[in-house]
Amino acid sequence: MFHKIKTIGLMFIALISFNTTFATQHQSGNIMINDPWVRSAPPNAPALGAFMQIANHSDTDVKLLSANVAGYKRVELHRTIPKNGVMQMVKQEFMPIPAHGELMLKPGSWHIMLIGPESVPSKGESVKIELIFDNGLSKTVHAKVRKGKMMHHKKMMHHH
Amino acid sequence: MLKKILIVVVIVAIAIALYIYSGANRDYKALAKQLKVSHVIYNPDKPLPLFSLVDQDKQVFNNDSLKEGWTLLLFIYTHCPDVCPTELLDMATLNQLMIKDKLENAPKVVAITFDPLRDTPKVLKEYVGHFDKDFTGVSGDQSQIDKLVKSFGAYYERVVYDKKGKPVTLKADDKLPANALKDGYTINHTAWIYLVNPEGQIFAGFPTPHKPSNMIKDIKLIMSQF
Repeated sequence: MFHKIKTIGLMFIALISFNTTFATQHQSGNIMINDPWVRSAPPNAPALGAFMQIANHSDTDVKLLSANVAGYKRVELHRTIPKNGVMQMVKQEFMPIPAHGELMLKPGSWHIMLIGPESVPSKGESVKIELIFDNGLSKTVHAKVRKGKMMHHKKMMHHH
Repeated sequence: MLKKILIVVVIVAIAIALYIYSGANRDYKALAKQLKVSHVIYNPDKPLPLFSLVDQDKQVFNNDSLKEGWTLLLFIYTHCPDVCPTELLDMATLNQLMIKDKLENAPKVVAITFDPLRDTPKVLKEYVGHFDKDFTGVSGDQSQIDKLVKSFGAYYERVVYDKKGKPVTLKADDKLPANALKDGYTINHTAWIYLVNPEGQIFAGFPTPHKPSNMIKDIKLIMSQF
């Protein structure tokens, strides 16, 4: 009995790792996400910002169409645009990632807005974000919750 | 004869007034030139209007609250995912720098909400206190806040989305649609941080982006020459 469970368990693990490997390999040539993070916020924060660098290694422009995160009322793509000294929060239909280029999501600029959290994640936790692109790709990243306003270059993580 | 004396007195009075005025002006002009990341916006002819708000502990926050020392004042709203947390983080860093520097009579940080409808004193206490427990969050009547926003030369507008998802911009005086609280709204706003002097008057303003290590230099300069 125990042996059977163990076998099933191993098969399950193998299946998961196969899936994960397959998925990442499939996407790594095209879209690469570096340093995904969510900014830590007060426990009663009604909205959080998620940031990352999205690199496009393909020959065609790619659009990030949406992001899905469980446990939030809404997830929107936003861009902060300063205009005549007013910081405008502008909802975006998509985020453009040029061919052989990148888009940097960072405070004061492009960001994914996580609205209405069931509970605000604490520092050190990670938030699972599914990114949906217009070329049929989707990619799931685990964004670390951390304090700060800028990207930590030294801590940059490559998801191969 | 009396008329002549009167004319002379008036001329002398004007001359003295001009001298004092230009003297005061000249002083701050010299100071203004030394400032790296802030602007002197002190205008003795335009004092802050009388206002009465409520702080995070439900105590009155009015003109007198700004006369207890120097104040770093900013306007925020808690539904802001990007700009306001950045400002508050910068203020927390600045506060740590001022403590490390043992700056005497260091300015107290006061964050006033643009959005008292959603940001009650209780909400602000938890939100603002997360960045630094010494910060004070301030709420109150929208009309009182609007008056203050205007006199600081700040600005905000609310953005709601219509049924087709198109953004609709509402000015401060415009009424919010009935479903706005449920559907949510964002706020476009200026993001200056203001230094208020111990007389409770606006003295300087720091535009974005805010770099705490530079801000502290300007703050020390201003406090030493005020």
